[in-house]
Amino acid sequence: MKLPFSAVTFSIVFCVAYAAIYWFNQPLFLYYPMTGAFTWGSAALKDSGPGMAWYGLMANALIASFVLALAVPDRVSGRIFRNYLWVFPVGTMLICAYLLRNFFLQG
Amino acid sequence: MNFTPTVIELILHSLVGVALLGAITHQLVSIYRKPRPRGPGFYDRYTGVNQQVFVVAVVALFAVEVLLGGIVYPAYRIDVRIPFEEMALFSAVGSFESKEHFAGIGFALLPLYYWLWRPENADSHRRDRIGITSVLAFIVWWDFLIGHILNNIRGLS
Repeated sequence: MKLPFSAVTFSIVFCVAYAAIYWFNQPLFLYYPMTGAFTWGSAALKDSGPGMAWYGLMANALIASFVLALAVPDRVSGRIFRNYLWVFPVGTMLICAYLLRNFFLQG
Repeated sequence: MNFTPTVIELILHSLVGVALLGAITHQLVSIYRKPRPRGPGFYDRYTGVNQQVFVVAVVALFAVEVLLGGIVYPAYRIDVRIPFEEMALFSAVGSFESKEHFAGIGFALLPLYYWLWRPENADSHRRDRIGITSVLAFIVWWDFLIGHILNNIRGLS
């Protein structure tokens, strides 16, 4: 049986979910490259060095987008957002840039 | 310089990036080319390609690029970002953060990009196809340039 996977829904939901997850700092897990440890959520582990959130952000957004991509077909999402699909990644990139502003304001 | 696995992965990462940059730029310039009779000049030859044939290459190269970036990312976090922070190069850290986020967004756009380039969607989603291809090209160029600049700052040592 072929899964009714919607590419349009997947990419749209990923953009929205990624922006929300990053905004509220809700990665699925953190990875600590110095020790190889993982922790669920965004709670930092002591004495393990710096934690990396990106894998957990990606995982959370991919799960949300994959689930909805099975529920909402291309013909629906493609028709509703026709001609405006590019707005989603552009919006998410702008939100990411806004959340990163402090790196550039520190000098 | 020692050719450690991380250095080799980083060189592969940059080589795949060059190939991806070439493929998507070729496709993008071709999209924006005005339909007119083709001349013998460089621009006409450069843009006179079948845009469809680049789709699979762009998807494959982008996916491999993100995978390689994900593999070398822990080494960056320890060996590059910590010295950047100690040197108060926060704009460099922020630039890399933008690179990783944009790469993740671009990776998730690949199914949509592939779908928009399918022949059955050619007429109904022309504007979306141009928009999403342009966004992907921007991400590829941005990430390539930021990676290049950061590598110039820190190097491979």
